[in-house]
Amino acid sequence: MELKEVSGGQLVLSKKYGNTGLSVVTPKSEEEIQQILCTANEEGKKISVMGRGTKRGYGGVKEEYDLVLSLANYKGIVEHTVGDMTVTARPGTTIAELQGYLKKHDQMVSIDPSWPEEATIGGVIAANESGPKRLKYGAARDLVIGLRVVYADGSVIRTGGKVVKNVAGYDMNKLFIGSMGTLGVISEITMKLRPLPKFESLVLLSIDEDRLEELKAFTVKLQGSMIEPASLELVNPALSKKLLDREEYTLLIAFEDVERAVRYQEEWVAANKPDAAILSNLSSDESREFWKGFSVIQPNALKENEPADHVQATVKISSRNIQVFDILEEVRLLKQVNKAELDAHGGLGHGVSFVILKGPEEAVTSTIASLRDFVRTKQGFTTIKHLPFELRKKIDTWHDKPSYFFLFEGIKRKVDPKNTLNHKRFIGGI
Amino acid sequence: MFFTKKKKTPRDPTIEHLADIVGKKSILYKKEDLLSYDCDGFTIHKAIPKAVVFPKDTAEVAAVVKYCSAHKMPFLARGAGTGLSGGAIPLNGEVIISLVKMKNLLSVDFENRQAVVQPGFVNLKLTNSIADKGYYYAPDPSSQYVCTIGGNVAENAGGAHCLKYGVTTNHILGLEVVLPDGEIIEISENGLPDAPGYDLLGLLTGSEGTLGIVTKITVRILKNPEGKQTVLAYFDDVENGSQAVSDIISAGIVPAALEMMDKTAIEGVEAGTYPVGHPDDIEALLLIEVDGIITGIAEQIEEIMNVCRRWNVREVKVAESEEERGRWWANRKTGFGAMGAISPDYLVQDGVIPRSKLPEVLRNIRKISEESELRIANIFHAGDGNLHPLILFDSRKPGETEKALKAGSDCLKACADVGGSITGEHGVGIEKIEEMRFIFTEEELEAQTNVRDVFNPDGLLNSGKLFPTPSRCMDVKKVM
Ligand SMILES: Cc1cc2nc3c(=O)[nH]c(=O)nc-3n(C[C@H](O)[C@H](O)[C@H](O)COP(=O)(O)OP(=O)(O)OC[C@H]3O[C@@H](n4cnc5c(N)ncnc54)[C@H](O)[C@@H]3O)c2cc1C
Repeated sequence: MELKEVSGGQLVLSKKYGNTGLSVVTPKSEEEIQQILCTANEEGKKISVMGRGTKRGYGGVKEEYDLVLSLANYKGIVEHTVGDMTVTARPGTTIAELQGYLKKHDQMVSIDPSWPEEATIGGVIAANESGPKRLKYGAARDLVIGLRVVYADGSVIRTGGKVVKNVAGYDMNKLFIGSMGTLGVISEITMKLRPLPKFESLVLLSIDEDRLEELKAFTVKLQGSMIEPASLELVNPALSKKLLDREEYTLLIAFEDVERAVRYQEEWVAANKPDAAILSNLSSDESREFWKGFSVIQPNALKENEPADHVQATVKISSRNIQVFDILEEVRLLKQVNKAELDAHGGLGHGVSFVILKGPEEAVTSTIASLRDFVRTKQGFTTIKHLPFELRKKIDTWHDKPSYFFLFEGIKRKVDPKNTLNHKRFIGGI
Repeated sequence: MFFTKKKKTPRDPTIEHLADIVGKKSILYKKEDLLSYDCDGFTIHKAIPKAVVFPKDTAEVAAVVKYCSAHKMPFLARGAGTGLSGGAIPLNGEVIISLVKMKNLLSVDFENRQAVVQPGFVNLKLTNSIADKGYYYAPDPSSQYVCTIGGNVAENAGGAHCLKYGVTTNHILGLEVVLPDGEIIEISENGLPDAPGYDLLGLLTGSEGTLGIVTKITVRILKNPEGKQTVLAYFDDVENGSQAVSDIISAGIVPAALEMMDKTAIEGVEAGTYPVGHPDDIEALLLIEVDGIITGIAEQIEEIMNVCRRWNVREVKVAESEEERGRWWANRKTGFGAMGAISPDYLVQDGVIPRSKLPEVLRNIRKISEESELRIANIFHAGDGNLHPLILFDSRKPGETEKALKAGSDCLKACADVGGSITGEHGVGIEKIEEMRFIFTEEELEAQTNVRDVFNPDGLLNSGKLFPTPSRCMDVKKVM
């Protein structure tokens, strides 16, 4: 495919989030992806890779590339072997499409990232997105078993395979998961599947801000017990107000198992909860509705509906399990001295928290800075995974470079020596 | 006389330098001492190392590596030496850096469910050290009572209970690594998720000691499940057993383990150290374990028993005590070694197939057995399609070792041909180098060696492993 043929010569994507291009191409086959990359690479052109664009606010200090390669139209299920519980999908397939298809077979991809109706599986894998169920199921790295990747020079490399257990050669899958499209264009993803849970429910425990310690003690007790929640997500009062109309800390305890086991665990929670905590039980249907609402709380670069003088940001924080309490408490303190709206939730047990900031630019940026300082004192990692382009020029959205950053550079140099793909999108300007 | 002898064999300066680093008592260099390091669990190929050093901490590892690197001297890491693909064999007369003296449990953090261990710490010791608090370390290779966690990381080891809980890579949270030039790096020092940048934890795990030497490991520990129940099912027909495996999985059950043995394997384990009295005329047995919340287990066990009955099981029973369960597992976990009771030698293979191809591949393996006139026993992780054909042979008979190797390779071909892999947990090492071509193109192999070169540009660390290169293959063939 000639670049000229597909380029409209105009800017199609709004500039607000950067990562745009002089033209957008939407290949419909792997051969087209190969041709586009090969040509661009030879001509020294720079490509921004995207799925549907929910994460255009995630990293990147280039406003414009020569070309945006959108995988939105390269979609569909390539192969689903029901008995093997594996599926192979093209990158542009949305999470909702994938789950909808698998549901007919009582199976699922065990990942629950934000914006399932719009987020593509390719984007989710490339950005290493995860949701609250990560506690039970792990992250993208735990479910991807094979990839097809188009390298910048147009060659196609298969990594991993189609079987659920495989140690032949290096585990190259891992290189591409979370690499933000800087190493290659993922053109096919093979994942292992899980059966749909036989039964699920969600227990909500809400407690007054001043009594967070009691919820913490309960959490420690629960984690030391035989209870096996699928998620154990702590939600701050501001977010809890929006989701549940309860301005209190709320713990989301999800169960997925056979019904008897779920009921038994619900009873355990009821019997052991802090006296002051209000408990409510959501049924299977209600909990699914709840999670749907939960999946759209983070800013999405495709929806730009906030007032012009407000900015939105999402900060992802990695900490130890129990430090999630400290992080959410810090958010509460920051809120008292700050004009930004701060919604936050964090996964106990896996340690990934998200803070969503909305408000005047100054308030958002200063809160991000304070939050970062705080997380540094806890030896955690912060990544700003959503921020308008203008601010990304001022604030490094990635965590500090590790001492072994030269290995990242070495890998990038070997795989994409001409910096054709997503140049400067990733940590340290890779 | 003592003096003259000493004069006759002047000490090699390399040995002196290495001894300065690790201490005179922590180095082996005499031929007779080196002999036990000429191979690992893959005994068909042998080579003598230059020396074996036993550093006691990361700094000593780094100093040895720096010395080797500066003098362009090949080196490699070694744990317990139980690897089954020859990864720790010093093909190039390496200096072997044995991690067995770095065998401490450094810390356990129950609240955050992490433990930090040195690489020489033995797998099972971790579970034993935290069992009293109700915790365990999930990856359970059958060699767990001797193999090291460093070796597990290098091989991305699996085990019977990895079906539900994942293999080593799913449990590694942080690594300290000595790079091939001696630099020490810490990846995700505190075991936090999603360390910024490319996922080097994931890349290093399973890299078979070719990218760096792991000197400290942060692992996830799990709370013991509330309950577990184990089912044993005997089948008169392998196909029925395979169908039962499929149906258990299709029923939406995620067993903690789902293992299978065929007739020859059963003959072996019954002649071994832990016989349990399996009937000698069945064609296959399944060992199935379900764990989790106690009230939820019974109905899953019921469903599993029904599936087995639907597939004409001869007998199916639930372990009635922890003691009985323990005996069934000891019988299974010592399965490889038990082959020694029915054959002078055996070669363990390790292919993976899509579960649905089980009957077809088992038929093909039977054919390979008939053609090679060697018996092949199958013990395997049926739940995830990870086969272990055990090829029984007698190395004293001329030509039989070669025949066994060929049969092993053919088994892997049979796996690759149905879209599977040539190794699920034992690694490529030197054993399966040629077979890498069954599943990867030249370009794909190069993509991997390109990554290796970023870490190990001079190829001094464990070279000649994993990847076929035209010259290397020739070498290997010659020696064999
Ligand atoms: C009877 C038996 C049963 C087995 N069952 C299983 C099983 O169920 N599942 C399974 O997965 N495997 C199994 N194995 C294979 C073997 O035990 C595993 O591969 C194990 O992980 C190897 O550990 P080790 O300490 O013996 O490593 P070694 O054999 O000493 O080394 C293996 C490789 O790792 C490298 N290495 C070792 N330590 C380090 C380090 N610190 N840093 C970097 N590289 C290092 C070596 O260079 C070598 O390439 C079995 C082996 C036997 C003999």
